[in-house]
Amino acid sequence: MTAHRSIVFGVLLILLAWGQWGCASSGKSYRPRWTGDAVADGLHAITNAPPKDRVLWQMKTARAAMFKGKNELAAELLDDALVSIEGRFGPDKEARKSRRLFQDESKKFFIGEPYERVMAYYYRGILYWMEGDRGNARACFRSAQVHDSDSEQNEYRNDYVLMDYLDGLISIKLSASGDSNYKRARESARLAIPPPYSADDNVMIFADYGQGPTKFAAGEYGERLHIRAGHSNAREIRITTDGAGIHLGPYDDLSYQASTRGGRVMDHILANQAVFKSTTDTAGDAALLSGIILAQGRKTQDVGLGLVAAGLVSKIFSAAASPQADTRDWDNLPDYLTFGTLTLAPGNHALTIEYLDGSGNVIPGMTRTENVVVNPLPSDTVLYFSDTK
Amino acid sequence: MLEYVLEENHMKIRFVNTVIQTTLSLVVVAFVSGCASGVRNPSGVPVTEMQADERGFVAGLGIESQDMVAVTDKMARSLSNTHEINNFDGTPRIVLDPIINNTRFPIQQDIFLTRMRALLNSRTQGKMRFLARERMDALHQERDMKRSGEYTSTTDPNVQEFKGADFFLTGKLDGQTTRTSAGTSDYILYSFQLIDARSSEILWEDFAEMKKQGQEDASYR
Repeated sequence: MTAHRSIVFGVLLILLAWGQWGCASSGKSYRPRWTGDAVADGLHAITNAPPKDRVLWQMKTARAAMFKGKNELAAELLDDALVSIEGRFGPDKEARKSRRLFQDESKKFFIGEPYERVMAYYYRGILYWMEGDRGNARACFRSAQVHDSDSEQNEYRNDYVLMDYLDGLISIKLSASGDSNYKRARESARLAIPPPYSADDNVMIFADYGQGPTKFAAGEYGERLHIRAGHSNAREIRITTDGAGIHLGPYDDLSYQASTRGGRVMDHILANQAVFKSTTDTAGDAALLSGIILAQGRKTQDVGLGLVAAGLVSKIFSAAASPQADTRDWDNLPDYLTFGTLTLAPGNHALTIEYLDGSGNVIPGMTRTENVVVNPLPSDTVLYFSDTK
Repeated sequence: MLEYVLEENHMKIRFVNTVIQTTLSLVVVAFVSGCASGVRNPSGVPVTEMQADERGFVAGLGIESQDMVAVTDKMARSLSNTHEINNFDGTPRIVLDPIINNTRFPIQQDIFLTRMRALLNSRTQGKMRFLARERMDALHQERDMKRSGEYTSTTDPNVQEFKGADFFLTGKLDGQTTRTSAGTSDYILYSFQLIDARSSEILWEDFAEMKKQGQEDASYR
């Protein structure tokens, strides 16, 4: 091989390597702090992580704040996240870029898959009700149901049991009808069936348990977004106090909701990008191989070099194409949601919360007692319990 | 022969140069477009002052300031021309009753009636009076302190002077949402009523309606 051919080969190989490295590394990435204080770590991330991940950190931190009873902070974070979620209509430069051939989907601003947006509204609704604002709580539960309309298949749209049920219960408390909401809630119920409304009950108990669904990328180039189902040892909750008790069955299953969303428009875009990546990779291999062979011959050298160059370019383009699905997820969500109501006199009460398995046996180690204060009538007292702290 | 060899080498060099230049250009393009992680407004957006009835760059399908301004302007004008207000014997006293939010959008519920009250107070020159029922705790405390002699008073604090309401001003927001693969649309009906506190009759009612629609980028669908 003569010197100039060696130089050409060398330069092209360097460019290939540079192209692959340059496109694989996307600059400095944020490393989340892990101090053990999820709220403090989350607040740090909200300020210091890339802006495209802000809503994700707000969601996670809001739930961590609710675990600690920092409801005002949780409300503030969710309000900001919901503004971002609702402000996504129309031209969005970052979103448009994420659809490009050489851009990761994860470069777009995160607003969550439908099940994540639903949960942002759900938790904000709970917090509004805790503040005594039933109207805004109901608005949140309705918005949550609207965000479940993104399912590809009609049968899985607007099928959260609790969103309809809570809409109806609040409507009754606001002197409107809740009949159609209750009917829809019953029709959507796949697990436990919610009881008829006891609108005179003054204590509202929201509870959730288990580890929620997570996302992963599948396919040859990670172009398909898949959901890994969550898990819960507990299937229902029993709450007892002052001799009275209620059973709370699982009304909504987040893993089911996440996995029945169906295909996204973005899935089709990523699938096309994967085809491009595969095609240019294969074409590049073919051109390289034939080019190297031809470059050995004196008479076919130029043609061979040209093929090698074209093959390298094709490989570079293939390396640069980025069809990976965005797997950022709200990873501290529960698996099951449930709700119940009680009538309790104003004042202090001790509630015993037991988690039961699928056979109705109490799961050892999960039982706990919560001391609560019931508000004077006619205000509702809204309580939230999670098995995750 | 020598000329042929020189010409062939010259062509080879030109060919190699062209390949290198083209490949470099393509790689730069791929590098820049594939790896650039552009951030929208990396330096932020400076604060700009806007009119309340202007549509900002942050917009959604819900209730926004320009909607609230338009609706309350219309309602205040309509209410101030009501027969019962204009022909009331004396000065009518009005209490604000919180509006009912029957939409899917969380709102600051007091803001509509507060703006209407402020408009009416500033533009109707005492044609109607509003009662500050949300301040009653502070007012009770003030009166009790005057009665006990801890605070001075220019009038007799033992006289019952808190006014009763002649009318209630209230409202309701109703919404209807449609969401399909073509996008989302939200219709909101804003209705306001003046209710006779004695008979519960609705003496005045007016409304405004708005519809908004939009669709998000394909990467969010």
